[in-house]
Amino acid sequence: MWYSTNLAPRAQIGYSTGTYMVIVGHCHTMPMEIEMTLNGTERTFEAERSDSLLDVLRRNGYTGAKRGCDTGICGFCTVTVDGEPERSCIKPVATIDGTAVETIEGIGTQDDLHPIQAAFVDNAALQCGFCIPGMIMQSRSLLANNPDPTEAEIREGLAGNLCRCTGYEKIIDAVQDAAERMSGEQTVVTDGGDLTHETAGCSSQDWSRGECDE
Amino acid sequence: MSKPNGPQDDDSHQRLSSSAEAEHPLEWDESPNNRKSKSERQAISRREEKTDARKIVTGESKYTADYALHFPDLAEASILRSDIAHGYVTEIDTSDADAMDGVYAVITPDSDEVPDAMYTSAGQSYPEPSPWDLNVLRRKVRYVGDPIAAVAATDTQTANKALRAIDVTYEELDAVLDPEEAMEPDAPQIHDPDQVENIQPGADYERNIEAHTEGEIGDVDTAFEEAATRDDWFVTETEWKTPYQSHCVPEPHTTIAHRDEDNRFHLITSTQVPYHTRRQLAHLFDVPIRDIRVTKPRIGAGFGAKQSMLIEPITVALMLAADRPVKLETTRREQFYAMRFRRSARVQMRSVVTQDGAIKAFDMSAVTNAGAYGPHGLTVTSSIATKPLPLYTHTPNIRFEMKAVHTNLPIGGAIRGYGAPQGHFALEGHMDEVANKLGLDPIVLRSRNLIGNGDLDTASGVTTDGEHVRRIRSCGINDCIERGKAAIGWEDVKQPEEDHLHRACGVALTAQKSGVAGDELGAAHIRMNEDGSFILQTGAVDIGPGADTAMAQIAAEVLGVPPEDVLVQASDTDISPFDYGAYASSTTYVTGSAVKKAAEDARAQLLEFASQMLDEPVENLQARDGAVRSTQTGDSVTIEDIGYESIYGDNVRAQVMGQASHCTDESPPPFGAQFADVTVNEHTGEFEIHQLVFAVDCGVAINPDLVEGQVEGAMHMSYEFAVSAGLSFENDGTPETLGFRDYGMPTTADQPPLESILVETHEPTGPFGAKSVAEIPVNGVPPALSNAIHSAVGVRITDLPITAEKIRAKLDTD
Repeated sequence: MWYSTNLAPRAQIGYSTGTYMVIVGHCHTMPMEIEMTLNGTERTFEAERSDSLLDVLRRNGYTGAKRGCDTGICGFCTVTVDGEPERSCIKPVATIDGTAVETIEGIGTQDDLHPIQAAFVDNAALQCGFCIPGMIMQSRSLLANNPDPTEAEIREGLAGNLCRCTGYEKIIDAVQDAAERMSGEQTVVTDGGDLTHETAGCSSQDWSRGECDE
Repeated sequence: MSKPNGPQDDDSHQRLSSSAEAEHPLEWDESPNNRKSKSERQAISRREEKTDARKIVTGESKYTADYALHFPDLAEASILRSDIAHGYVTEIDTSDADAMDGVYAVITPDSDEVPDAMYTSAGQSYPEPSPWDLNVLRRKVRYVGDPIAAVAATDTQTANKALRAIDVTYEELDAVLDPEEAMEPDAPQIHDPDQVENIQPGADYERNIEAHTEGEIGDVDTAFEEAATRDDWFVTETEWKTPYQSHCVPEPHTTIAHRDEDNRFHLITSTQVPYHTRRQLAHLFDVPIRDIRVTKPRIGAGFGAKQSMLIEPITVALMLAADRPVKLETTRREQFYAMRFRRSARVQMRSVVTQDGAIKAFDMSAVTNAGAYGPHGLTVTSSIATKPLPLYTHTPNIRFEMKAVHTNLPIGGAIRGYGAPQGHFALEGHMDEVANKLGLDPIVLRSRNLIGNGDLDTASGVTTDGEHVRRIRSCGINDCIERGKAAIGWEDVKQPEEDHLHRACGVALTAQKSGVAGDELGAAHIRMNEDGSFILQTGAVDIGPGADTAMAQIAAEVLGVPPEDVLVQASDTDISPFDYGAYASSTTYVTGSAVKKAAEDARAQLLEFASQMLDEPVENLQARDGAVRSTQTGDSVTIEDIGYESIYGDNVRAQVMGQASHCTDESPPPFGAQFADVTVNEHTGEFEIHQLVFAVDCGVAINPDLVEGQVEGAMHMSYEFAVSAGLSFENDGTPETLGFRDYGMPTTADQPPLESILVETHEPTGPFGAKSVAEIPVNGVPPALSNAIHSAVGVRITDLPITAEKIRAKLDTD
């Protein structure tokens, strides 16, 4: 892309330009009950009217979504609400009542990774990891809408999720890899195990195999 | 020993006395197992899965704030910060805040729980070179962001409401925002020298200078005098400016402080320096070091931001005042004005170079904007010269003068590169200007003067007048250049069809260090479980890059076991051996060496058991593939068999436990070559970066995936430094950049493609030949881009950020 002005590209780089709700004030008096289907299970949570969805999730142990900016810009808190990716830090929890929410905790387990999670692991597409739960949730929505994205479409689709560690290179590789894994053209090994490594021509699982770098 | 192509005609080159040669011999007493051919390596040089990868992708990785649920009576806290740039707090009325429902404690500089002692926030070894010029809460405020008061309450929203109810009265003073103006005689004086403990050289607080020093090798003035008399020696003068840069750490600084069951202070905190933090807290709160425990959980990256003790003291004071656990989580706004930053800098370069490209003299001076306080002021500003100049260490005459100057702006600190990015922009931009003047190819000019393997490097010791010397025992810079050229297409740049578009490549060479020479300590402890697995404890602070994984690979390589059989425990001052912390590109090189030695200690014990079990002498035994095998008989026992024998055996029982410390005067530089491929529109100044390539010599890559991650992530930050605007302020010092969107951190949509190339060399002083890699790739994009743009359209951008407007303005002028 071209830089027509100074990159401090307030308006011109990938940040979406919608308006963001700013939550002000705090009311102690009126706790309310919020019902949602959280990762497939009916749940009821107590909440304050001023709470964001992120506040409620984190307070109840769903700490996979991270608080990075509280203004809906960094994407670290991305979850899905009724299938759509949302920045949970700016989503008033009152608007969640009756919806279906999915968080990183519902996607896969360490022994049974979702193909996107496995692709992030196998492509070393993570460092500090603070952005990764949100990045994976955004990638999941991206691939649900576009199962075979080009690199440009991946870059566009992830532009609202920041990462400071990776330079995005390996993340983009991981999403491309995940798309292939999910395309059904190959058997998906959901634990990120041997098959995926053989596909990549390199094993990081079995240390005693031959060299993969040289 | 000296470089074959180097300037040979120089008498001053004789300054490297034979004693320096003898003190720093090329030969290094390297243990025989340190150098392994690629086919011999089992655990290192492999793309091992990062030990925390699976818990990261499932959201189970626990960062400081995620521990809140462990403390049912946890209070949440917020900080009230100065909203004027310079002045005195004459009155703080907290009565409304105190009376508010849900407020547990309000602290001000007058609170008993708030220490009066001075300290530095710099997470450096003791005694810290940085001045002790900070109070925990401040009556005199020196920038918009100085902490004045803090609140602990039932939740953050209540704490924030209480903050708004605090009434602060200021007596405002004139502020100064520009370092040059701050040095004027009539400028407002920001610090009172009687209130500061400063061991840095050259402090002159009446002129707002916190540190001022210079050093010289050879005789620079004479070289310039001679140049004035010769028409085959050329003088080139340039000046370079760089803005503030934010670390943009994903995880905002967060601390939980509570008292443990023994009534000791226990902190879970996002830090790169648990041990320095423990010592500095002990000093501030006047409690014994043993009564403080600092636990480092997973960290949402550091980049130097967390090589500082920023919010820990306020959290402890609130914990004392509220008499309950307290969590303090900074906001993203605070991250952009009240934490630490890459300091802005002005660097001037003068050089004398002969017609055929031999550098005779460099005269470099730097003024940095330290901001309101002095952490890392001397050491960062010195690094502007001492990190890049070794590239051309054969230069016989080098002078460097530095000043770190206070202003009423946010505080400069440690950030990836640590002065080197500012220095490389100046040096490598200057080198291209010299090449242009002489009509030389920029790579030919560099190669003519380049450092090489076996050289004695004095340039890194310019601030010691050349006293500090080091031997270069690994140097792959020539391969970095060649491989980078091939990857970027240096020899074959195809011009666009449109006449107004011009495409070109630019290059910048880079160097860094591997730890602070003579000022590091890493320690490690490893013990074997009966199942043949190992528990490795180090103070190495993994802040995201994968240090724990690299440490496991180093130990596994020694022990002949799979890396996943080495469990690495996160740094915790109650549990881990000592470590200076994650900074200065030291972890792999320094702590990795301690791990290797500790594992060798354990292996010796392991082999003793195997010797008894196999009835074979130790000399015949080899630990490999999870077993110990006799090279004579072929008999073997598994590591697990040895584990059970060591713990439950019929003969001598002893747990296999290895331990070691490592410190060193060596700090070998990694080297790299940064390339940028750009097309510039000569009508508009707009430019498109097609690709950024960085080829790095970091010795042996312990884990190539992790090394590539370091290169790509650092190149991203370097790219941002080249094109983003940094921080901006109103005329009264009020910050205007308060979020990611204001700041303009590159996203997937605007980050140009990055390519990393690993050039392997073998550093004999490093663990299995490794040097550092975390910082060096952050140095090169600004000069490489400036050079590429100059090559494309003939205009030179000397002040960052590089923008279309600046290019167009210069095109119009020229």
